[in-house]
Amino acid sequence: MAVCIAVIAKENYPLYIRSVPIQNELKFHYTVHTSLDVVEEKISAVGKAMADQRELYLGLLYPTEDYKVYGCVTNSKVKFVIVADSSNTSLRDNEIRSMFRKLHNSFTDVMCNPFYNPGDTIQSKAFDSMVSAMMVQAS
Amino acid sequence: MAQCVQSVQELIQDSFVPKVAVLCSEDAQKITRKNNLNFSELLRPFCRLTSEGHMRDSNNQVQVVKNLRISVNNVVTRPSVPTSGVHSPAQRRLLSEVVSASQPAEGGVANVITAGDYDLNISATTPWFEAYRESFLQSMPASDHEFLNHYLACLLVVSSSEAVPVEQFLKLSQEQHMIQHNGEYTNPKWFIPNTLKYYVLLHDMSQGDEQRADSVYEDMKQRYGSQGCYLLKINSRTAAAGTDEQIPDPWSQYLNKSSLQSQAFLVDLAGDFNAGKVKSGLPNFHQHLETAIDMPGSLDCLRAVATETKTTTVYTGVAAGTSHGACLTLNDHNRLRLFIQEFTFRGLLPHIEKNIRQLNDQLVSRKGLSRSLFSVTKKLFGGGKVPEKSIAELKNTSGLLYHPEAPELQIRKMADLCFLVQHYELAYSCYHTAKKDFLSDQAMLYAAGALEMAAVSAFLQGGAQRPYPAHYMDTAIQTYRDVCKNKVLAERCALFSAEVLKSQAKYSDAATLLIKMTSEDSDLCSALLLEQAAHCFINMRNPMVRKFAFHMILAGHRFSKAGQKRHALRCYCQAMQVYKGKGWSLAEDHINFTIGRQSFTLRQPENAVLAFRHILTNDSQQTATQQGAFLREYLYVYRNVPGVCEVALPQLPLPCINSSATRVYFGHERRLAEGEKQAATHVSLDQEFDQDLAAVWQDLEEQVVAAANRGVVPSTFYPTQCCLNSQTDNLHFPLAVVEEPIIVEVAFRNPLKVPLVLSDLSLLWKFTLKDFSRPQPQDVMVGDAVTITNEKEAIAPRVRKGKGGIPSVCKFLTFSLLSWQARLKLLPRQTGQLTILGLVYNLASTPSTGDSTINSNSPSVRGRQDLEIQGPRLNQTKEEKTSVSHGPDRRLDPTITPPMPLLEVLTHHCPLPLTQK
Repeated sequence: MAVCIAVIAKENYPLYIRSVPIQNELKFHYTVHTSLDVVEEKISAVGKAMADQRELYLGLLYPTEDYKVYGCVTNSKVKFVIVADSSNTSLRDNEIRSMFRKLHNSFTDVMCNPFYNPGDTIQSKAFDSMVSAMMVQAS
Repeated sequence: MAQCVQSVQELIQDSFVPKVAVLCSEDAQKITRKNNLNFSELLRPFCRLTSEGHMRDSNNQVQVVKNLRISVNNVVTRPSVPTSGVHSPAQRRLLSEVVSASQPAEGGVANVITAGDYDLNISATTPWFEAYRESFLQSMPASDHEFLNHYLACLLVVSSSEAVPVEQFLKLSQEQHMIQHNGEYTNPKWFIPNTLKYYVLLHDMSQGDEQRADSVYEDMKQRYGSQGCYLLKINSRTAAAGTDEQIPDPWSQYLNKSSLQSQAFLVDLAGDFNAGKVKSGLPNFHQHLETAIDMPGSLDCLRAVATETKTTTVYTGVAAGTSHGACLTLNDHNRLRLFIQEFTFRGLLPHIEKNIRQLNDQLVSRKGLSRSLFSVTKKLFGGGKVPEKSIAELKNTSGLLYHPEAPELQIRKMADLCFLVQHYELAYSCYHTAKKDFLSDQAMLYAAGALEMAAVSAFLQGGAQRPYPAHYMDTAIQTYRDVCKNKVLAERCALFSAEVLKSQAKYSDAATLLIKMTSEDSDLCSALLLEQAAHCFINMRNPMVRKFAFHMILAGHRFSKAGQKRHALRCYCQAMQVYKGKGWSLAEDHINFTIGRQSFTLRQPENAVLAFRHILTNDSQQTATQQGAFLREYLYVYRNVPGVCEVALPQLPLPCINSSATRVYFGHERRLAEGEKQAATHVSLDQEFDQDLAAVWQDLEEQVVAAANRGVVPSTFYPTQCCLNSQTDNLHFPLAVVEEPIIVEVAFRNPLKVPLVLSDLSLLWKFTLKDFSRPQPQDVMVGDAVTITNEKEAIAPRVRKGKGGIPSVCKFLTFSLLSWQARLKLLPRQTGQLTILGLVYNLASTPSTGDSTINSNSPSVRGRQDLEIQGPRLNQTKEEKTSVSHGPDRRLDPTITPPMPLLEVLTHHCPLPLTQK
């Protein structure tokens, strides 16, 4: 389903980034990093006043030749980015939404962990397994 | 896109200028040769008109022509590159040389763009791109589907010293006619069948008979009319007379540029020449070649050219080395300027005016009668209409091809004429009509050309009367590229379109367009376009920093593929600013690695070393094999840095030294317990430091000192500490005794996932001799590793020698992600002040096969790492509390004192309650 899932901190450094084909990780890093421009553009497009009612899900950020990049921003400006294979046409907007919801819930759990230091990279087994579950469905 | 020196309007106007051919008689050439120039080169600096011209359009309205430039070129009859839509290898080479010759100025203008939390240092201009664009546009071959760069007029130049100049004129005129109408030459292309011929009588003031020239000129006026001929007098200065006069050389800026071009072509052409098929669209070389052929004994000249090309230096000598226009005075310059002005206003513009009128009349009459007829017949016979005269017409992929004189092309011709004389409004409407015609004929190449020019002329009209039709450009580009398979034309169109979009601040569209134009064929072109796209992203209203960085990396990659190492490095460095220190370690490592490699190939080893250091010191998330590769590359670069080991040892980044965990032990190391004997000490390096125990001992020592001093503890007293670590009080210089060893324990950590091999580890120190008792100059120099002595002299040359360290020569393998300690012993032989500076060692990597046996052949680098221990944070006064300041730590600066009595106490069968209190 997803080939790369990333969680980006408010200050735009990666908290968590994982991709399916390990050997091509660098490409995904570049893709996710570049997508932050679009995220920022989308956030700033919504007016200041409307910021509270803003929907978290940003939709398709941009399509590349092989992938589609989706984004979602929490109220605390933490960004989730999901890169999906564009050959996978069965993927609906609703499914992406639910993936983001799951990701968000899991992320909240990580944040609730009293031993987690906000701003550190995420090293949680529960989070890991949830992410793998979302990626495994592809194969 | 980056800022350009030229505005868009200037760029487009200068790209499409009326072209004028030159035919020169031999004698006339001899005259211009005196100045190291041929006739067209002679005129080149004066080709931009400073005054306004006027002409009437078909409605008798006066049209102002401003800032017109004309292009004067020699007639080149060789076929240029077939318009196959790709560049020839020679052209590619030329473009690549133009780009690599244009580098950013050292420490030049860089503006800082602040976007969000990024401060980027970016050069605002990209002169290499402009240079590329200029020579790209110049090297455009004349195409059949447009007339803009076809010759409008021909200058026939004859010397006044000729026996019968009029006859010579006739000869040249016939030659021109033959070239144009013989059908033998496809090149050059001519605009209109009856090309304007302008007769120029060239008079050499230094040797010719001026009166005769005047009379010949009168004769010419009779014959050709005063509007069609000119008497040009040059070479007023004799070579000997005017050496003291300083004359500006306006040619240098024009010809130096082209010297590069001709040079680039020489080798290529020399190769082709023997085969008899010289393929080149560049007129410049042909000028030289042409003149060589025209000279008497042309075969010898040719041979000379051939030999010259082998050395490839001679032409630069001709073009750049010697000065141009040595025989010309400022007055001559003015005459040349006046000549161009006269020619343009009296000859060229009226000629164009007349032709526009004629074409207009033709079109009007056709419109009235045949247009409707045509459309009816077309409808009736279902596209059975074949353009007249085009028997040899080919139905290729790009649709049909017209004969150059086909009536369908007349309107395009008129549009081009109007465009050249800046009558953009009329040009637009003509292009627009032409476009419709071509489209209905399915003549795609012609339609694309008309679309392109319609968009450009709509833009140049300015004002609000017509919005810029961006979709015309898009369609044109698409047609050029996909239907006509003509990459060159598509690229030209895209360059204009992007520039126009940029001028309208539509950066996002421009970027999309530029990115779309990149392809696999030309790395150089793609690199330049990507770089411009990156600049577009950064220039947006909301700068897209990351997109900028990403496209810079792509551009850098393409530059390096195209062999433009310097540009590649610059691109990567600019992208680095965005990725640096933001936690995107994989990307950062990749960029650093590339920067390192590029710097190394560009012989900037210092930068390479710096970049590689970054990869290794970062908390790397790379895989073990990748880390191993980085390490090997780093070591390789290091060993190839010339002179680095002789001057000063390099600072090595690996392994990490935890300097605050350094422990120093003074005195001989004792075994704490030996059989029944129990040493009366608690201190050893093998023991952890125990705060409470230390306090007990300190208390005991105080009591002893008090007892010895009759109950008073002296104010200078402080407890002896023979093992120093991070928890002890290190404010004082510790005392060490001569001939007693000092043991330093250093804590290492290997952050990598691959093993490291360290060898020849030893301490680096500085020693100042100080005598505490009588001076006893026993200069005992302990044989030390030679490297240390060298090193010591290199680091602190004024320090007197006289101490010896015991280097622990060993070799050990350190496994990945492991911490370990090394103990090094130092034996002072004289009293004084010692400072331990750091460590020197050889660093090597294990062979990639992964076997852990130490291979003595593996490449190693000798380097150093300094031990800098930060003292505890000060927290006493208010200032110290509010700021972050650290106290001194003197662990590594022992004072070597004269010999002291050493007392060793051992207890036998020590009763337990005594030691345990």
